[in-house]
Amino acid sequence: MKFFPLLAACGLLISNGFALDEPMLPTWHGNERAELQAKGWVPGAILLSADPVPAEPLKVEQPKPEEIAEDLKPSPEILEKFLPAYFAERPKNFLIDPQGLLSPADYRDRLGFLNYHASDSSIDLFVYVIGGEQEIPSAVREEEMIERFFSAGRPAAVVYYYLGAPQRSVVYLSPSITDAVSAAEQRRALESSVMQAFEKTKPSEQFEKFLVQMSIRIYWMERMLAGAPAVESVAPIANSNEQDATKSAKILWLRNLAIRSAIPTAAILGAFMTIFGFLHWLRLRARHRFPEFEVEPRLGGSHAAGIGAVISFASAGLPPASQRDQVPDYLRRA
Amino acid sequence: MKCPRCVQRIHRAAASCPHCGFTLADADARFGDEDVRIRSLTDTAGILRRGDRQCVEAAMEKITCRFPQLFVAIYTGSLGEISNIRQFGFWLLNRAAFEDVPVGKPNEAGILITIDPESKAAGMVFGYLLDPFLEEADTFECLSRAHAYWLEGRYADGILRAINHLDSILSKRSRQARRDPEHFERRILGPAHLGDLVRRIRAGHRIVAPEQESTEVTR
Repeated sequence: MKFFPLLAACGLLISNGFALDEPMLPTWHGNERAELQAKGWVPGAILLSADPVPAEPLKVEQPKPEEIAEDLKPSPEILEKFLPAYFAERPKNFLIDPQGLLSPADYRDRLGFLNYHASDSSIDLFVYVIGGEQEIPSAVREEEMIERFFSAGRPAAVVYYYLGAPQRSVVYLSPSITDAVSAAEQRRALESSVMQAFEKTKPSEQFEKFLVQMSIRIYWMERMLAGAPAVESVAPIANSNEQDATKSAKILWLRNLAIRSAIPTAAILGAFMTIFGFLHWLRLRARHRFPEFEVEPRLGGSHAAGIGAVISFASAGLPPASQRDQVPDYLRRA
Repeated sequence: MKCPRCVQRIHRAAASCPHCGFTLADADARFGDEDVRIRSLTDTAGILRRGDRQCVEAAMEKITCRFPQLFVAIYTGSLGEISNIRQFGFWLLNRAAFEDVPVGKPNEAGILITIDPESKAAGMVFGYLLDPFLEEADTFECLSRAHAYWLEGRYADGILRAINHLDSILSKRSRQARRDPEHFERRILGPAHLGDLVRRIRAGHRIVAPEQESTEVTR
């Protein structure tokens, strides 16, 4: 029992030794404590509160008034200097990008695609490239512009494409084909193109996917114009569309081949039929002769020896097959 | 070939049936020994209507055109027993004088179809000219084609079917005979000819003069 006070004394000494290594606690200077208590400070009150400890305020540079004014604009309109290039006349190219939003390489590739589309399709595709955050000025009336520029000439589909924000894209058709292509079909075309665009993340790649899908959808619009019924009724997936387009191309190729080869095939068949008919006619007209051999008379018959079969048709239960082996009546079973 | 009376097989040069001794004289005793003047289509039983007759005559005429050596004759009548129809066909083709068949066509070139609507039996016989080319099985095939029609009493239709099939068989045999006539000639060689053949084989296929042969026999 004498050991416990000794052990306690040793522990106290060791703990004091460790305590001497830590930094010194802050201490009050002068009447600091009295001043704080006079202001209503309660010692340890901060630990009793649920509010987080306030961080030290950062020194932030205050914005200038003009900068605040700029931030208040929700989305910038296209600068006025670009408006004539966009909307003054019917575009000369299928890709309109006066702001240079696309890189030169992308612009060249996309324009090449649109030119290829124009050469392959009866409906041209004009694309106005606009910044993703930009707005078309309210003074520009798109529908009126479409009617003014695209009423004459080849039918066209006009797309306002917002680079980086394909969901904002708008499509218009020239007046000559709006009657044949329903608004629902236009909407589906746009939706499927936007869906395709969203498969990519880069704006340039989105734009490329958008154009490819829109070109495919225009193919279906062409079919509608030609009077063929639209095959699908819901917004299709791009893969099935591409397959359909491939199948349709094959069917068209086969149809053309059939049309081209119809006359030669008919001629060959006719020739075969004629030859076959002629040979058949010759065979019908053929006269057959048998060689005549000298046959010794038999059974006293001067002209015939009685060779030949006999058949009974007394009952359907006695078919010819059962009469083939003709034997004397006395050899038949009763 | 078979005997018209006992339906036993007989050889090709039999003067009478070796089994029952049947000859034409027996048939003459039964049906008459004088020649009978009939037309090639004789419907004694009255089973063919006027329209039917024309169709049947046209089919018979077609055979005559395609096979100028041949003619087809049809006789319908009541004969009593089935066994008689074999003998009757044999007898009629030997004794009939067909009024509407050219004289140049002997009965050897005839094919006679006999139908007995009472005993419900039919038979087909042919003359010596077709002996090498037709067999009993061929005539049976022709009659088999008509069997279903005759069961229903459609005699004309059955006759037409039989004649059509006969036409196709004759065409085939005629082509075969043109290609290989020896094959058919061998069929009608009698025992005497076969004896010659055996003799030739024994002699090593050398041509032996008859005098020489007789000399050898004398020795």
